[in-house]
Amino acid sequence: MDNNLKKVIIIDYQLGNLFSVKQACDTVGINSQISSNREDVLNADALILPGVGAFIEAMNNLRKFRLDTAIQDKVKSGTPIFGICLGQQLLFTESEEFGAGQGLDLISGLIKRFPNTFDERKIKVPHIAWNTIYTMQQEWGDSALKDLDNNDFMYFIHSYYVKPIDDACILTITNYDEIEFCSSILKNNIFATQFHPEKSADKGLSIYRNWALINNLYNNERN
Amino acid sequence: MKTVGIIPRLDIKGPNLVKGIHLEGLRVLGKPSDFAKYYYEQGADELMFMDVVASLYERNSLHDIISETAKSIFIPITVGGGLRSISDIKEVLRVGADKVCLNTAAIKNPQIIKDASRMFGSSTIVVAIEAIKESNGKYLAYTDNGREYTGVDVFEWAQKVAELGAGEIVITSVDKEGTGQGYDLDLISKITNLVGIPVIAHGGAGKQSHIVDVLKDGNISSAMISSLFHYHFIKENRSQASTLEGNVEFLKQKRSFHIFEPCSIEVVKRELKINYIDCRL
Amino acid sequence: MKETKKFEVFYGLPEQVIFCKKCVISNQRPTSAVEFKHTKDSKKTTMNFDEEGVCDACRTAEIKDNIDWGMREEELIKLLDKHRKNDGSYDCLVPGSGGKDSAYQAHVLKYKYNMNPLTVTWPPILYTDYGLQNWKNWLDSGFDNISFYRNGKVMKLLTKLSIENLLHPFQTFILGQKNLAPKIAAQHGINLIFYGENEAEYGNPLADNMTSLRDKSYFSFEHLDEVFLAGVSIKELMEKYDVRLSDLMAFLPPKVEDLQKANIEVHYLGYYLKWTPQEVYYYAVENTGFKARPHRTQGTFSKYSGIDDKIDDLHFYTTFIKFGIGRATYDAAQEIRNRHLTREEGVALVNRFDGEFPDRYFNDVMEYIGMEPEYFHELCDKFRSPHLWVKIEGNWKLRNNVACTGHDDKELSS
Repeated sequence: MDNNLKKVIIIDYQLGNLFSVKQACDTVGINSQISSNREDVLNADALILPGVGAFIEAMNNLRKFRLDTAIQDKVKSGTPIFGICLGQQLLFTESEEFGAGQGLDLISGLIKRFPNTFDERKIKVPHIAWNTIYTMQQEWGDSALKDLDNNDFMYFIHSYYVKPIDDACILTITNYDEIEFCSSILKNNIFATQFHPEKSADKGLSIYRNWALINNLYNNERN
Repeated sequence: MKTVGIIPRLDIKGPNLVKGIHLEGLRVLGKPSDFAKYYYEQGADELMFMDVVASLYERNSLHDIISETAKSIFIPITVGGGLRSISDIKEVLRVGADKVCLNTAAIKNPQIIKDASRMFGSSTIVVAIEAIKESNGKYLAYTDNGREYTGVDVFEWAQKVAELGAGEIVITSVDKEGTGQGYDLDLISKITNLVGIPVIAHGGAGKQSHIVDVLKDGNISSAMISSLFHYHFIKENRSQASTLEGNVEFLKQKRSFHIFEPCSIEVVKRELKINYIDCRL
Repeated sequence: MKETKKFEVFYGLPEQVIFCKKCVISNQRPTSAVEFKHTKDSKKTTMNFDEEGVCDACRTAEIKDNIDWGMREEELIKLLDKHRKNDGSYDCLVPGSGGKDSAYQAHVLKYKYNMNPLTVTWPPILYTDYGLQNWKNWLDSGFDNISFYRNGKVMKLLTKLSIENLLHPFQTFILGQKNLAPKIAAQHGINLIFYGENEAEYGNPLADNMTSLRDKSYFSFEHLDEVFLAGVSIKELMEKYDVRLSDLMAFLPPKVEDLQKANIEVHYLGYYLKWTPQEVYYYAVENTGFKARPHRTQGTFSKYSGIDDKIDDLHFYTTFIKFGIGRATYDAAQEIRNRHLTREEGVALVNRFDGEFPDRYFNDVMEYIGMEPEYFHELCDKFRSPHLWVKIEGNWKLRNNVACTGHDDKELSS
């Protein structure tokens, strides 16, 4: 791998399987490195924030490694960030999970849990399934989703979902058993998905590739 | 939209993919990675790798297969068989598994479900229940690949498993497993009605319609299938089994196993769609 | 050559315990006994090991892969063509109680080779419920059957005596089962009997022919006082236990007169068709409704073999006592030879399961024969040969085991 390529840091805060995220990056030619080091994050050209697990623990770990402020600074200064699953949720303001506390607050909104019953129907939680994503207002053409069609399938595995205050940042919606929720967001340099593109076969890989393309991560010049 | 998943299950012994009946028998069908690749290309939604002798032989040996698979197969991989401790789980996740499946360890020490789901996230922890119907009609849970009697009632156990924080349950009917006679619909629907977490059905699929039968009510999240797909694979393909170990008499004879009407994943999914069951096609 | 201490050795077994280099069996394994002469003083012939430390059974398994099975099948077809009847009568006999082996044999003979088998059952001493269901399913897949229900009182007595005298719960069962087939064959004018696999020698297709059958018959009835059942002579059985000769006929060979018109041959199907016990299991499930045991067999790791009789589990416990060889060893050895397991895996399984006490059905068996459980354990202790067993702090330990963790193994290595 060419070391003059832009450097993407996959943030490791000790929660979740990073192997597949790294594999996906390798497969599409993204120059990535897994790190929990604050300096690495501050020097990165772009960030990936993955994760599977509990919100509270995640935020505690981010604070412990002083990654929370590093991420906030970088994002506010325009560094592209790609949040996945729990990683998407961490970008928001706060979770309704009791005692969960504050998130990184880079996007205003709450994190909510799927209810166990809805419309007198039992809802299976976690939502573990391939499900379709469809447009709301934003066009996909300029986003990492540009090679996808409306209603393509992605892989979901989560009990919580995000509810942004401003609908304009919603990129896709998904319907789980009649509950509609935001499944991905795009706001300037912030792109995040509730689903796992690295677990969504070829279409998922295209998201990695296109995110890198759109953010000029295949260029040799380093900023 | 509520979709269902089709999950091929690969039973592994050492270097070989094997397939038994009633979780007994080590008939070798080929090399695991050949099957995994084929199923990925055919549209499998997830893959399950089960080391069928790990608990029985008290060892662990799937790591190489997992890493190799995770490098080129970008769908979720669940790994089970002989995972006895938090560090076993950690190790398997580290080499590329997305979810882990516990049975023997969980029944022996239910606390491990709680600890593991806290540490790795509920959705990472799957608990498998191997059910055998006793002569008095009760369903009891077994461990060590359908071998050890525990006396534990499967329905009580399923509820406990969900309470302790597991993300999913795989319910296997050992009586039906490998027979191609169809899923045990009674057992499976009862389990899914008792818990609020997703339930995956396993054991007995002999033809497409069996899969429709188990998924059409909408309460089962996925169908896990082994024989039906494996016997189809060997009809269409050749897979070189290991020369170091394993009995390949069946492969040599090039027979089919006629209790099954083997078919591909694509055929199954189309059948589901015809029956108004949503899935990724 | 390790230094061996001198211990008393029972049954004429080899003094030094050696384990096969390829499978897990030991040289203490007895080869078939002449059951009629079997008394507590009998000396055993045991499995032979060659200069490389490999047992005969492993060597014959090696040969198995090099046999021209196509040619063997042709031999079978020739044999069957000679005996096949098209006038509605039975042309061959398959003895069995619903286990996977007889299920396979009967089915393949009927449906692949177009024979007309009669199946014959000497029922298990104590049927397990799934064993009985397997038997029913077997017949439901298309076979006529004759079952012989022997005198329960005498069966109990002989079973009890064979445990007391020989620690061999199956001795009388084996005799009855072996002798029933030729009797029924003679009665029905059937000239061909099929058994399964002859593990001892693959070069031999014949278990018996008319000469050997008549010899056995002649021997038994001309020399009744030299015939032993359950370790007791017929004479003593009749005098001491108030049993009549007519009560014992079921356990003896057919009378010479009954064999007059017969022309019976007893063949091993395993000589003609390559026999893989696990594949036989699959075949039985696929074709005759066979179902494995719903739990692990105690004393071993498997679920598909020898599951129809409750006493079977106890039988293997007694082989563990007498020869240091439990069921896991037998099963693992067979599976290693058939390449299902590596030797290392076999050792791990033997280490984990061999000698496990079969408590699940133990009380049923004790109740059936009217024996106190404690008395059974006392009997066991009497049959432990000192060269195999040592008692340490009240617990019996094997001096040598296949994992090299036996009492004497450890002493030598320390």
